[in-house]
Amino acid sequence: MRTLPKRAAVALSLALACLASCCVWLALPPQAAEAMQVVRCTGRPNSDDDPTAIQGATQSRITLETTVDEGEGVDQLVVHVPDGTSFGTDDLNVTLLTGDDLMTRNEVAYDLSTDGQDIIFDFDAPLSQAGHLNIIIYDVYFPQEGGDMQVGATYTLADGSEHEIDGIPQITVVGITGPEALSQWLEQQEWVQAWNSNTFLHLFLDPTVLVTSFPVVLNGFFMSVGVVALAFPLGIPLALVLALMRLSKFFLWRGIATTYVNLMRGTPLFLQIYVAFFGLPLAGIQIPNFPLGVIVLMLNSGAYMCEIFRAGIQSINKGQTEAARSLGMNGFQTMLFVIFPQMFRNVIPNLTNEFITLYKDSSLLAAVGVMELVMYARTIVASTGSITPYIVAALFYLVITLPLSRITRVLEDRLRGHRRSKRHAHAPEAAGAEKEVAAR
Amino acid sequence: MKNLQLKKLLPQAGVATVALAAALGLAACGGTPASTGSTGGSAPAESDGSYELVTDGALTFATSPDYPPFENLENGEYVGLDMDLGRAIAEELGLECEYTNIDFDGIVPAIVAGGQADAGLSGISITPEREEQVDFTDPYYVDNQAVATLSSNTELTEDNAAEALNSAEITIAVQSGSTGADFAAENYPNAEILPFPNFTDAFAAVASGQADAVCGNSAVVQQMLAGAYTDQHVILTSATGEEYAIAVSKDNPELLAAINDALAKLQEDGTIDELIAANMG
Repeated sequence: MRTLPKRAAVALSLALACLASCCVWLALPPQAAEAMQVVRCTGRPNSDDDPTAIQGATQSRITLETTVDEGEGVDQLVVHVPDGTSFGTDDLNVTLLTGDDLMTRNEVAYDLSTDGQDIIFDFDAPLSQAGHLNIIIYDVYFPQEGGDMQVGATYTLADGSEHEIDGIPQITVVGITGPEALSQWLEQQEWVQAWNSNTFLHLFLDPTVLVTSFPVVLNGFFMSVGVVALAFPLGIPLALVLALMRLSKFFLWRGIATTYVNLMRGTPLFLQIYVAFFGLPLAGIQIPNFPLGVIVLMLNSGAYMCEIFRAGIQSINKGQTEAARSLGMNGFQTMLFVIFPQMFRNVIPNLTNEFITLYKDSSLLAAVGVMELVMYARTIVASTGSITPYIVAALFYLVITLPLSRITRVLEDRLRGHRRSKRHAHAPEAAGAEKEVAAR
Repeated sequence: MKNLQLKKLLPQAGVATVALAAALGLAACGGTPASTGSTGGSAPAESDGSYELVTDGALTFATSPDYPPFENLENGEYVGLDMDLGRAIAEELGLECEYTNIDFDGIVPAIVAGGQADAGLSGISITPEREEQVDFTDPYYVDNQAVATLSSNTELTEDNAAEALNSAEITIAVQSGSTGADFAAENYPNAEILPFPNFTDAFAAVASGQADAVCGNSAVVQQMLAGAYTDQHVILTSATGEEYAIAVSKDNPELLAAINDALAKLQEDGTIDELIAANMG
C-alpha cells in the first residue's frame, strides 16, 4: 500500500526531470548547451626551494582537464601550449574520466599532429560520453624568465563547428633561481659529467644537486638552530630545579625528580616526540609544531642536564658549604653564591657536549613534520633519489658541532690544568665526593 | 573496474622477449646450473652474463612496507599488491623472491648504490627527477589521489572541497616525496603542506588536529580509513595519472628488459588485473 504511491511519485518526478531537461536542451542553442568547460589547468611544481612553485627552464608537466557533455561529439581538439614553452609528445596522456565520481579511466584513441605550439588531437571516434577529458603533457619546459602562461584550447564538433574553451586559468611560472640556473649550467659541464659517471660521487656528492639543495637545507638549519637555541637555555633552569630536588632531603621532591629523570633518560627521545605530538592534542592541548618541538627537547635535555648539575654540585668540596655556613650564609645563599659558580665552571664541558647531542637529536623532530634540517634534506632525497642533500645536511651539523667540540676540548684542558695546580693545595675532588657519600 | 593504461608496455614486449631469449640462450650455452634453482633450470644467474643479481637465484626487491594496500607487513609477512606482483615477476623469471625493508626515501639511492637490492618495488611513481637516477620499468598501476578529513569537520565537505582546500587557513598532511605531496602542491598552492616521512603519521596528524586534511593515494587512503581511522571520510578524489613502476639500476638494462617482459606477460594473462582486484577490494 505504502510503496505504490511512493513509486508513483518517483516515476512522476523522474518524468518531470526528464521533461525539464529536455525543455532546457531544446530551449538553448546546441553549441551553448554543450560547451566544453575547463575544470583545471595546472603545471607540476618543480622547485626544490618552494614546493608549490613552478619555475622556468626546468622540467614540468601541464595537466588540462575539461568537461565533455553527453552526446557532445568532440571530433578534434587543439591545445595551444604557451609560446616559448617546449614540450614532448612521446608521452602524452589522454584519458576520459567517467562515472559518478569521475574515477573510471577510458583510454582515448586519437591521431596526433603538431603545428608549432599547437598539439592537435584528431579523435578516432568523436567524444560523446559525459565525463572529464584529462590531458597530461610531459617534458614541458616553461620559458626561463617565467611569467603567467596561458594555455589555449579549441575544439571541433562532429558537425564541423569550431569552439574555443574560455576561462582557462593561467599557470604562474617564476623565473629560475640562481642555484637552479647554476645547477643546469653545471649539468652541461664536462668535468661534472665525468664526476657523475662515478656512482659513489654521483650519489653522494652530485654538484648539480649540491647547489640546489644548499639554500633549501639552509632553511632547515635556521629551524634546527632555532629549536635548540630556545630549548637548551630553557632546559637549564628546569635542570637546576630537578638537581636540587634530587639532592633534597624531603623524600617527595627526591621521588618526583628521580622518577622524571629516569623516565626521560630511560625512554627514546623519538617516543617522547611521538607522545607529545600526537598525544597532547588528543588531551586537548593544542600547540603549534615549533613550540611543541622546543618543549619536548627542553623537557628531555632538562633530565640529562639535571644529572650533570647534580654530579657537579656533589663534586664541590663539602668544606665550601661548611665555610659559607660558618660565614653566616643560609642554605639558599650558599647554593647561589658559593656552590653554583664553582659548579658551573666545572660542568661547562659537559654542558657543551649536551648541547651538541641535543642539536643532533633535533633531527628526530623530522618524524613529526617539523621542517628542520633533516626534513628539508629528506624531502629532496625522496623526490630526487640522490643522497647528496643528506651530505649537505651533515655539513650544516658540522658547522656547529666542530667548533663546539674544539671549545669543549680547550675548556677541559684549562679545567684540568686548573685542577692540577689545585691538587697541590687541596685534597683531590674525587676524594671530596667520596667523603660526602660516606657522610650520608 | 580500473581500466589500466599500459600502452607503453606492449611495444617493448617484443624487444624484451628477444633480450630474455638471448639471456636464456647464453644460460644454456654456458651450461652452468642455476645455483639455487628454485623452479628448474631456467634461472639466469649472475655468472651467465645475462643480468646481475645481488643474490644468485633470487630477485631482491627493496620496499618500504608502510603503504597498504600496496605493501605492508602482516604478522611479519610482506603483503599487498606490489608484494604479490613481485612474487609473480620472480616466478615468471624463475627466481626466488626476496624483500628487503628500506625507508621509502632510501629506496632509489639504494638501487643506485647497488648491493642492497636488485629493484625497488614500493609504489614508486615515475618522475623526471627519479628517472635521472634509475631506470623505470613499464608502469603497472595508475594512481588516483584522495583527500580525507575528520567526519566531524563541517568546514571541509564533499561539496566545497575543491575550493576550500586551496586556502591559507588549511593545513594538508602528506607523505614527503609522495605523489600526494605533489598533488596537494599543484592543486592547493595556497594551503600549508605538512610533510611526514611516514604516511600513517599524516593520518594521526589529522586525528589529533595537527592538520585539517590528509592527501595521498586513493587506495591507501581508503585502506587507512577502513582500518584505524574510521572517524575520517574522503571529501575529494581525482584521477591524476601518476604511473607506478619498478625502479632498476641504470647499470642493469638486462634486468629491466627481463622485468618488462614478465610484466607484459602478467598483463596479458590478466594476473595484474586479478592482483589489483584482490588487493584493492
